[in-house]
Amino acid sequence: MRFLVLLLLVSGSLEAHELTPTYPELRSSYLSDVLETKVRMWNARVDVEYYKIEVTDKDWNDVPFITREKTFRLEHLGKKDIEIFLPSDTTATYICTRSMLQKGNAQRSIISSKVCSKIK
Amino acid sequence: MLKLVIPMAASILASGAIAQTEIVGNVDSKCIIISETPGVYGNPNPYQLTTAPTDGGIQPIIRYDVLAADYYKAVIEHPIDFSSAPTLDDVVAWTGDVEVSEMSDTNMADYDTNKVEYDNAHEYEMTVAGSTWFKISSAADYGFTKSFPAGTYTAIVEAECIPL
Repeated sequence: MRFLVLLLLVSGSLEAHELTPTYPELRSSYLSDVLETKVRMWNARVDVEYYKIEVTDKDWNDVPFITREKTFRLEHLGKKDIEIFLPSDTTATYICTRSMLQKGNAQRSIISSKVCSKIK
Repeated sequence: MLKLVIPMAASILASGAIAQTEIVGNVDSKCIIISETPGVYGNPNPYQLTTAPTDGGIQPIIRYDVLAADYYKAVIEHPIDFSSAPTLDDVVAWTGDVEVSEMSDTNMADYDTNKVEYDNAHEYEMTVAGSTWFKISSAADYGFTKSFPAGTYTAIVEAECIPL
C-alpha cells in the first residue's frame, strides 16, 4: 500500500487526467423535474488545456444534459467542479471528460484520454 | 494576580489546541490515466510509418493507476486513421496492438491473456489495484508500397477508463 501511495504521488507530476467520484449520485435540484450531480476533474496533463464533457446512456448514446460549459479550459494541475443537470426521466449512465487535442507539428501519435464516472 | 494567570493559562491551552492541525485524506476508488510517452512514427520505408523502435519509432506508453480493484475497465484503441496528414489519394492499411509492458503487482500478469479485443479496441478489466503500463504499437502502410507524400502525420491513441 505504501508503494502504491508513493507511486500515485509521483504520478501527480506526470501527465494525468482524473475524474471523481467513480459513482456520483443524482439529487433533486432547485428546479422541479431536474436532477443534478457533481463531479470533479483534475488535469495534470501539460499537453492538454481543453476538455469536453460527455453524458451518455448505458449504450454510449448521447443524452441531453445542461452544464455551464460543455467544453472548458483547465490549466495544468487545475481542478474543476462540474455541475450537471439532467431531466428527471434521464437514462444517463456515464459522465465522461475527454481531452481535446490540438493539431501538433510532430510526426507522432498523440494520446487522447477519456475518464468516466458511472451514475448510481 | 489570579486575574492575570487564568487568561494566560487559557491562552496557552487554546494555542495548544490550535497546534493540532489535521490533515485529512480519503482513499476512494478512482482511475487516473497518465500519458507517459506520446510516441513517434519512424519512416523506415517511403511507404511506411511505424512506432517500432527498430525502425526509428517510439511506442506510446500509457499508465493506468487504479486505487481499488474491480471498479474499472481500461479501453485502449490503437489508431486506424490520421488525425492530421497531407492529402492522401490511396488506401492506408493500419495495424496495431496494445500490450502490458510493466506492472506494479504480479497479479496483473494475466491482463493480456484476459483482454477482450474488438475492432481496434483492447479492453482490460482492472482486477488488481495499482499501476499498469500499456505499450501501443502502430503501423501505417500506404497503397501498394506507394510513397507517403511529404508532410506531418499525426494519429491518436484513445485511452479510456470506464467504471464497471
